[in-house]
Amino acid sequence: MKYFEDVKVGDVMRFGRYEVTKDEIIEYARQFDPQPFHLDEEAARQSLFGGLIASGWHTGAMFIRMVAEHMTPQVATSGARGFDDLRWLKPVRPGDVLSVESVVREKEEPRRPDRGTVKIESRVLNQHGDVVMSLVSLVIFQRRPADGS
Amino acid sequence: MRYWEDHEPGQQTDLGSHTITEAEILAFARKYDPQPFHTDPEAARRSLYGGLIASGWHTCAILMRLGVEANQREQAAATGSPGLDSCRWLKPVRPGDTLHGRTEVLETWPSRSKPIGFVRRRMEMVNQRGEVVLALVGITMYHRRPVAASA
Repeated sequence: MKYFEDVKVGDVMRFGRYEVTKDEIIEYARQFDPQPFHLDEEAARQSLFGGLIASGWHTGAMFIRMVAEHMTPQVATSGARGFDDLRWLKPVRPGDVLSVESVVREKEEPRRPDRGTVKIESRVLNQHGDVVMSLVSLVIFQRRPADGS
Repeated sequence: MRYWEDHEPGQQTDLGSHTITEAEILAFARKYDPQPFHTDPEAARRSLYGGLIASGWHTCAILMRLGVEANQREQAAATGSPGLDSCRWLKPVRPGDTLHGRTEVLETWPSRSKPIGFVRRRMEMVNQRGEVVLALVGITMYHRRPVAASA
């Protein structure tokens, strides 16, 4: 288990594999982001995007799924305070396969004895290696218990 | 139609509200954010949070939904977003909470290369106790008012 003390600036993690389907794009959009270019293939073709694309928040949700599955189980985390500088850089389309590359950018001086914030920059990549989304997460790490366990 | 030209700093919009259920929290978290304090009421009780809380990405998705609905009511010519400057999950969101969305325009600027413009806004979700649970600053793109239509 990795605690706050075990994380080093510059640490790199690569993980995840998420296949994006048309059905899931439409299902997410119906629930949370019902705009024509996320919902309707024909309307999407006529839009700025030239075809159906995933809601940016859906890409965020797929990102956090990969984090929860691959990164969270290995670290002593209690969630995140939020994030900065989120950019949706390329459209995510049906058939894309996403993965994540994360780098530890900064460790904030802990203000509490039991936890500290680590700034982790993540890039979500598609199968061509294009960055489709990037952000800097403010992840809460637990500090190593004093008894060393 | 509400075009880019119709936005100015200081404009506030009330987005309406949504009451979040335990079933919604569990369904979202099981699909996208399977951490025990989002997916398992019993494990959540023993966690830092003392009970089930919604995934922060779920709260953002609900805010998005309220924002899209407001845009549709106003026939806003919105055309996506390049991203957000910041997002903070300030307080836990729990089953039964009623979340109210509100936004304020901070800044607007036109695209140099496309017939669109950008609007930077602060967006917040406030619970039934008046606590801000989510605060973000994001950018939205809008189509420019067509020249022929402005006469």
